[in-house]
Amino acid sequence: MMATVSRTATDKPPQQRRGGFPRLFITEFKLLRREPMILFWALLFPVGLLIVLGSSVSNKPKAAFGGLSFIVVYTPVLMTFTLTLLALSAMPATLASYRDKGYLKRLSTTPIGAMRLLAAQLALVVGLSISVVVLIMLVSHFAYSVPLPSEVGGFILAILLTMTAMASLGLLIASLASSQRVAGAIGGILFFPLMFFAGLWVPQQSMGPTLRTISQYTPLGAAVPSITNSDFGNWPGTTHLIVLAAYTLVLSRIAIRFFRWDR
Amino acid sequence: MTAAVTPVAPVTTTEVVVVEHLKVRYGDTVAVDDVSLSINHGEIFGILGPNGAGKTTTVECIGGLRKPDAGEISVLGLDVRADAKQLHERVGIQLQTSELPDKICVHEALDLFASFYPDPVAPEELLQLLGLQEKRDTRYVNLSGGQRQRLSIALALVGRPELAILDELTTGLDPQSRRETWKLIEGIREQGLTVILVTHFMEEAEYLCDRVALLHRGRIRAIDTPANLGAGLGQRISFRATTALDLDKVRALPEVREAQAQGGRVLIEGSGDVVAAVIALLVQERIVPEQTRVEQSTLDDAFVALTAEADAELAMQAHTVP
Repeated sequence: MMATVSRTATDKPPQQRRGGFPRLFITEFKLLRREPMILFWALLFPVGLLIVLGSSVSNKPKAAFGGLSFIVVYTPVLMTFTLTLLALSAMPATLASYRDKGYLKRLSTTPIGAMRLLAAQLALVVGLSISVVVLIMLVSHFAYSVPLPSEVGGFILAILLTMTAMASLGLLIASLASSQRVAGAIGGILFFPLMFFAGLWVPQQSMGPTLRTISQYTPLGAAVPSITNSDFGNWPGTTHLIVLAAYTLVLSRIAIRFFRWDR
Repeated sequence: MTAAVTPVAPVTTTEVVVVEHLKVRYGDTVAVDDVSLSINHGEIFGILGPNGAGKTTTVECIGGLRKPDAGEISVLGLDVRADAKQLHERVGIQLQTSELPDKICVHEALDLFASFYPDPVAPEELLQLLGLQEKRDTRYVNLSGGQRQRLSIALALVGRPELAILDELTTGLDPQSRRETWKLIEGIREQGLTVILVTHFMEEAEYLCDRVALLHRGRIRAIDTPANLGAGLGQRISFRATTALDLDKVRALPEVREAQAQGGRVLIEGSGDVVAAVIALLVQERIVPEQTRVEQSTLDDAFVALTAEADAELAMQAHTVP
């Protein structure tokens, strides 16, 4: 017990460690891997659903889907599903719990600071979202002949803006929620209307005109047609991109304004 | 005794922390009021006080976590706000209530925190020092209170700090873990590390600290070694008198501060050689004391006396203010 924290044991010259950010990111990744519920709903479920739907529903174009096949309509919806779940459920609850525990404050006593943890969480959500989006894209293309986005720039822009809009919303939840529980609840409640307007239950093509108009002004309602457009070589609609950018700007501003590092 | 700032012992060593006229407000409440202190290299400096005395606020200012409303703080020659990043590399802080993510393993937490610093202690070395080797793969949520506390200390030390701030080191620990933690801190002291220890356990301060500051309602009531603080109050003697003792004669002794009869016993408090003086009186009066008890005042007594004094003063002020 009385051993010493040797200052001399390290005779080797002080090796300058590379900044702690990579380690912080890896640690956050490991911690996320230990959350089976999040992994299931955000990663396995959308891909599984794609496979189940793709194998059981007719692949013929239908008038009800605006002349597209069911799986073409659903692929972008499933992409936004993963993205939204990670940004809205996983991230805010994690950040709120870190704040509750005083972990954010603990990090701010180290040279790395708590801001890097926020960055690591965002990087994690973005990285995982991109992986799953690519996976869904590949599965739906090779198994169910959904066209790969031919307007690549438009596709990337649409996905990025959707991610920033959802991440901003997630940050806002983390800023305003008083605890992990509350953050989880808000994320869960918002998830359903967002996904409804994305067309998870009723495809946008089958919505009535009023509902469809409302849908275009919600983040995911704007995201899904942007992705679908790029599948067929069209640039996403300007209004949709503006809607997504506006959500990003406004929500992130409010989130930053109200974010607390300490209880 | 109300004097706030006792002059610091002759400065032959370097001062690691210098706080001058620190003041912090929360809304209308003054949490820290004109606190000045200086801490020498290699010292274990205790900050003692009841809950809400302003202990944590004071050390959070020293650690650069909180912005003071007024006052100057210099730590290791750094301006705590302007040189925050450098400060965080050289000061290890164990916060009063800070937990880690539930599912992080002990060694992952240590590796992570080690990666934040330019020249960290090898995590394995710390695991051994803190007796956590067997728990290296255990998740935080499954650690006992004592193990969590030890991990928290390890994280505060992993960056090879020159100053360690330990807030409520042993709160919530069982007596044995508490003793072990004390031994650990004693061991660390050998390295020449300077330690600020925030506590409300008098016993802990008496055991570990070279000097303590008694903080009460945001003000420093005294700074001295634990022994001196106790000695200032002197001694207490109590006994059962076989024949009636005239308490006025006792009170007439210059060494006696207070004398009273209580439940058949005589209680006498005083400074210096009060015990010898009382015994001499008893001999002279031909009174034989029975069941005699002599107690040296401790830091605990000093603390109670000082806070009571301060409270009384405040009450007086409240009455005189129109």
